[in-house]
Amino acid sequence: MAYTKELLDQIGLGADRLEMHFVSSAMGREFAQLTSGMTERMRELGPSPLRERERDR
Amino acid sequence: MIIGEQKPLEEIKNLVTEYERILVLGCGTCVTVCFAGGEKEVGILASSLRMATRIDGQEKVFDEATVQRQCEWEFLDAVEEEIRSHDLVLSMACGIGVQAIVERFPEARVAPAINTTFLGLPEEHGLWTERCAACGECILHLTAGICPIARCAKSMLNGPCGGSQGGRCEIDPEVPCAWQLIYDRLKAQGRLDQMLEITPARDWSTGRDGGPRRLVREDLRIQSQDHE
Repeated sequence: MAYTKELLDQIGLGADRLEMHFVSSAMGREFAQLTSGMTERMRELGPSPLRERERDR
Repeated sequence: MIIGEQKPLEEIKNLVTEYERILVLGCGTCVTVCFAGGEKEVGILASSLRMATRIDGQEKVFDEATVQRQCEWEFLDAVEEEIRSHDLVLSMACGIGVQAIVERFPEARVAPAINTTFLGLPEEHGLWTERCAACGECILHLTAGICPIARCAKSMLNGPCGGSQGGRCEIDPEVPCAWQLIYDRLKAQGRLDQMLEITPARDWSTGRDGGPRRLVREDLRIQSQDHE
């Protein structure tokens, strides 16, 4: 994960776009919190720079 | 084996700036084993470059190929068409592989994507350390199989020196003193008397000090067989 996050930073996509968590089927609340948090973060980060490039083409 | 390490992506991006069609060429031997330039690393680097250059607004093509051994011309012939049809070959092999490409295909533009670091082995997952300096005159039988040329910071033939403290080298506490290792192993083997043998100053011309080296085996040369 640390390697991939660093790679995403070097590429210019940003390490914050990737997270990995271990959540069992019995951890519904944690799952909801993590996915909500990630969705919120994605909203703040905005579209991927790659997607914006595609749109410009 | 030859150990290598990929250059930072930013540096590689600069290497490909003026080219449009780039072949990322891996090697299936040493750099595959040390996770620097095998088929998997070729895929990761090519994908990274595709994304990074697109974000920078550049239109480039990164194709991928891997040969079994970039350091032999015959293996490079298998990708001759790919090499000729690209503006740049971004080699993920060691420095020998890079040079083999330009020797076989002199018109090819080649850039190294990895730094060739040393001859060594994996001590554990993710840790490689130097073992051989390719000095051309092996004395491992005198030093209990531990190389003082490659593993001693001073390449001392009669050690240890005063910089050996607690079994560690003065240059870095992470580096074990080669001569401490030699002493410990000779002791364990009941051969400590070997430590008293003085090794005279050696002829360093068999190493890099003698300039570029070449090895000739007349028995293997096709030309020599013709003369017989």
